[in-house]
Amino acid sequence: MNLLDRYLLSVKKFLPWKRQDDILAELKANLESQLEEKESDLGRPLTAEEMQEWLKHLGPPMVMAARYQPQQYLIGPTIFPMYWWVMRLALLWCLVIYSVVNAVTIVASSPSGAAVFDAVLHAPGILIITAAWVTAVFAAIEYTMARSPEKFPAKAVSQLDWSPGTLPTAEEVGCEGKRPRSHAHAVAEVVFGFLWLIWLLLIPNHPYLLMGPGAVYLRVSPYQLAPVWAQVFWCIVALNVVQLGWRLIDLVRGNWQKSRAVQHMTVKTIGLIATLILFTAPHRVWVLLKHPLTDTARYGANVNSINHAVYAALLWVVAISAMIWLWQIGQFGLDFCRKRVAAKK
Amino acid sequence: MTLPENLFENLRLELRRGCLTLAVLAQLRQEHYGYTLRKALAQHGLEIDESTLYPLLRRLESQGLLVSQWREEEKRNKRFYRLSNDGEFLFVELLHEWRELNKSIHNILERH
Repeated sequence: MNLLDRYLLSVKKFLPWKRQDDILAELKANLESQLEEKESDLGRPLTAEEMQEWLKHLGPPMVMAARYQPQQYLIGPTIFPMYWWVMRLALLWCLVIYSVVNAVTIVASSPSGAAVFDAVLHAPGILIITAAWVTAVFAAIEYTMARSPEKFPAKAVSQLDWSPGTLPTAEEVGCEGKRPRSHAHAVAEVVFGFLWLIWLLLIPNHPYLLMGPGAVYLRVSPYQLAPVWAQVFWCIVALNVVQLGWRLIDLVRGNWQKSRAVQHMTVKTIGLIATLILFTAPHRVWVLLKHPLTDTARYGANVNSINHAVYAALLWVVAISAMIWLWQIGQFGLDFCRKRVAAKK
Repeated sequence: MTLPENLFENLRLELRRGCLTLAVLAQLRQEHYGYTLRKALAQHGLEIDESTLYPLLRRLESQGLLVSQWREEEKRNKRFYRLSNDGEFLFVELLHEWRELNKSIHNILERH
């Protein structure tokens, strides 16, 4: 068996089995004609080195055979943009749903580092399964389109029914917030921020500022707020001081027109910390009896019910706030990366 | 291969791909088998690798643009190809398209 026969035998292994004999016979005839002509021009047979050189020029057997295969895509260029869009959406929602479900489950059962670690460890597996399903569905669509082009023409996908009138406006895609703030707006923010802070600081000694006539009931009722509320209160005060200070510095420096993405994220993070402090109150107690020795028998059950209800409400508040915070921090990171890439260009 | 060279190679291949089909269809107005077709194209200045041309013939035949026939010539069985009726019609259409495109590019170049 000469080198050409060995080459053809190797090509055969990679050819579609239904047509391999036919293709091989044709390829053999063409290559033998070419070889004959080469040898006729030289007036002698090709040497082993020349033969090797020629076959090497033809390309590896697998590559030669691959060209005879019909062009196959798992997901072709026509539906790929749609596939990619659906994939991103599916992964995002999968992550959000998985995180919410796990956060609620962990908090409702027994919050521990091990439970959180376990949830994080399982997240990649869930995402891979989601990606595999999306890919499988689109691969099936591609397969159907390739097999029945008359029923599912590629044009039908690339020219989906749409109208320019249905395109979202700048307000709908959230571009309206890019408009720079006016000086008057920035001054008003500082003035009202200052007034708001004063009002906040007056509340502990003058609860009617927050509760109105209800403050009287607070004074005569057998209940009082647990110490954790004081910690949260000072957290809120700190939040407002930071915000006011930042706005004041921006105003003095003349930077009020600039984007406040970092400020917004800092404020939201402090807000989330305050919520977490409240949620992790010692012994899950948010309301106490003023005189436990005398009132427990009468109001003890009420206090327990109130604390239980506050816990259930805070559980949802924390889960939803954490999800929103994660989403916003993700968007903030994405914006930051985009700006850095744009700046480099 | 540097990035610009690589890019050039990709664009060159893209540019050639459509032209090769047109050249093969043009040449197969006369009957040829694989090797003589390759030689005929090379004589007109269009070199095509074996691994590109032979599978292309199969593809064009499966699309109904070529018809083929096994026949013995010089004591060897060879597969001869020529344009089908559909292929002839499509070739005229493609040739018109190619000439229009060529004319447009020529006009653009003339203006600058």
